[in-house]
Amino acid sequence: MKGLTLRNLHKTYFDPAVGTKVTAVQDVSLEIRPGEFVAVVGPSGCGKSTILNMVAGFLPATKGDIIVGDRAVKGPGRDRGVVFQNFALLPWKTVIDNVGFGLKMRGIPKPERDRVAREFLALAGLSHAADRYPNELSGGMQQRVGVVRALANEPDVLLMDEPFASVDAQTRMTLQEELTRIWQERPHTVLFITHDVGEAVFLADRVVVLSKGRVLREIDVPIARPRVWDAVSEQDDFKRLSFEVLQMVRAA
Amino acid sequence: MNRSAESAGFAVEPSASWRSARQAAVFAAPLLVLFLAWPALVAAFDVDPRVFPGVRAVLAAALEGLRDGSLIAHIAASLGRVVVGTVLAVVVAVPLGIAMGVNAGVSALLTPLFRFFSVLAGIAWIPIATLWFGYGFGAITFVIFNAVFFIVAYNTLLGVASIPPQLRHAAASLGAGPLAMVTDVLLPGALPNVVTGIRTGLGFAWRGLIAAEMIATNVGLGYMLFVARDFYRTEVIVLGMIVIGLLWLFIDRLLLAPLERATIERWGLVQRA
Amino acid sequence: MTAILDALSRYSHFATRRPTLAAFVPFVPVVGIWWAVAAMEVVPRAFFPGPLEVAQGFASLTYKGILPAYLEDSVGRLAVGAAFGIALGIPLGLVVGFNQAMRRALWPVLLFFQAIGDIAWLPLLLIWFGFGLTTMTFVIVYTVIFPVVFNTALGVRSVPRDLVRAAQSLGAPKWRIVAEVILPGALPNIMTGLRNGLGYGWRALIAAEIIVGTSGIGFMMFDARRAGSAVEIVLGMIVLGLLWYAVDAWILAPIERATGQRWGLVTKA
Repeated sequence: MKGLTLRNLHKTYFDPAVGTKVTAVQDVSLEIRPGEFVAVVGPSGCGKSTILNMVAGFLPATKGDIIVGDRAVKGPGRDRGVVFQNFALLPWKTVIDNVGFGLKMRGIPKPERDRVAREFLALAGLSHAADRYPNELSGGMQQRVGVVRALANEPDVLLMDEPFASVDAQTRMTLQEELTRIWQERPHTVLFITHDVGEAVFLADRVVVLSKGRVLREIDVPIARPRVWDAVSEQDDFKRLSFEVLQMVRAA
Repeated sequence: MNRSAESAGFAVEPSASWRSARQAAVFAAPLLVLFLAWPALVAAFDVDPRVFPGVRAVLAAALEGLRDGSLIAHIAASLGRVVVGTVLAVVVAVPLGIAMGVNAGVSALLTPLFRFFSVLAGIAWIPIATLWFGYGFGAITFVIFNAVFFIVAYNTLLGVASIPPQLRHAAASLGAGPLAMVTDVLLPGALPNVVTGIRTGLGFAWRGLIAAEMIATNVGLGYMLFVARDFYRTEVIVLGMIVIGLLWLFIDRLLLAPLERATIERWGLVQRA
Repeated sequence: MTAILDALSRYSHFATRRPTLAAFVPFVPVVGIWWAVAAMEVVPRAFFPGPLEVAQGFASLTYKGILPAYLEDSVGRLAVGAAFGIALGIPLGLVVGFNQAMRRALWPVLLFFQAIGDIAWLPLLLIWFGFGLTTMTFVIVYTVIFPVVFNTALGVRSVPRDLVRAAQSLGAPKWRIVAEVILPGALPNIMTGLRNGLGYGWRALIAAEIIVGTSGIGFMMFDARRAGSAVEIVLGMIVLGLLWYAVDAWILAPIERATGQRWGLVTKA
């Protein structure tokens, strides 16, 4: 498990619709300790997805450094696992082959790959779906596969791009609870992007509020773990923090 | 969508092979009716055999063609040209299409070119092909190669370019190198388009084949049809037409369509470019 | 290497911003290469003319009125054949689409006759009607009708049932449902069928013109081949390519898109 450091990240690009250069991310620095769960919230267009895409290596940063552990990184790699909003499961591979994909890339032979994949599928309660194709599964199940696929590859850091935005509200709450449960069993350094304030406070150790490409504030979330919605939603701490963050996001 | 409707009349779920046998029978039934009505119609309207042949004449021609080997020779020549031209074209077009589709800039540059040449694919090349290669196997195989190549390359290019970037990102984040990217993401992702391209290209190629054989050679199904015309041997013509129809039905419906369906439906890839 | 990648990336952005312009850009270097290859005379000029010769041929044939006349003939035949094909194909497609029994009876027959293909009918047609307009029109109608029928039927059957039910519960009589719900609903597929049909249709036209040979672009190309002159052949191909490209890309495809093209490659018959 390694820490993730973002140092003075900048992103500017030419927007053909507007006709000029646009600054999406402005001098963002962030320090995530090993094993810490950090959520970044902000209104649409505040640059949070851009930051995640830069950290994942899908977009080049205009300026600044991304450091995993003690090494600067560029371009995608298995040290930074990604969970996508639209799941991004390979439709032509079964669930178990999707989960084992990262292992396959490392040259691990099939029996071993399948063993590890099944272990992780069991963790997410998906053992029965191992031989199905993604299009046969519901959205919630597909995203579970997405999470488990990233975890099975043992990344140093886990990046999650609004992973629950494409499922219905009920499923979302279930997935959030499952995520904290899995995360407690298998701790990882996590950078989690969302526009849902309640989700951020529920999941994270620390919430970072982003506005117009800049960090507005960082807020610690001292709520005890394990966290379940029934209990947490009643707690004063949760209500207070959620309210605070929401005000900040709305004013941004 | 149609499959459940077929088995709706059964109380107990029938086995898959019984179902497909039944489907084949249902499909063949109207054709059988037509075939059986044929001699009746010819007799009823007292049709001149030089206008349209009777069933027996066609069957006789078929037997004669089989016995002296000419029918086999024609079929073999036609199929041979199609197979050679198509295999060559696919082997060249698919890797080329993938290489072109991978980079957005390259695909933007080359798509209009390949689209234009896809438009011309097939029959329009017959005159220049016969000019360059003379009459015979070379010219005809060129027409077939040409028809399949441009369409498959164009479709492969489109297929690769329309793979959601997220899938490529996901594979990259899981450590996929360039070879793995091609075999595990680009090729399967573009496969439905590739198969559709092969099917369309082969359709144009088959038509081009028949047309080219009428003009540019002395063996093959097209030639067999055209030469029979000079002698008013309608029974040979109709025999040839039936053979052509059955061959294409076989290739398209029993080989290509199921392949297309299998790749698209199995993977649930519904909406494409 | 990165310089090339950057240039390509910038080109792809340019292409998204200016699609019409980007459609022409790649042809400039291609014509350049063509000119260079022809000039090198790897193959005799008679077999591989350069762009200038083709342009000259275009100018002279247009001036003499030959090219416009042939073009008119070809396009005219295609238009007539296509019109008949559509006029027959859409109603037949509607019938097959609506009626399960008709579909079971006709679908295999239609598939079989489509498999025979238009060109294979030429020998028989030449015996029946001789070397004339009837033969050629028949071939084109035959070619166009099948994609139109299949796609129309597919379109009819893919109109969501709830739309029909909604219309029924709003008191629409059967013929109105056809006119106001089924036909518009099937329109995207009908357009696809039309586009396919014309695609096969003009190829059938060229083949027919080559074989039946009285006038038209196909005839011009094959006649030139007999005379051993490649200029008219290449000219014919370019004219055909441009014409069909223009019709397909700037008339048919936008109409197909505008009528709400939903399925793309999957439900093509």
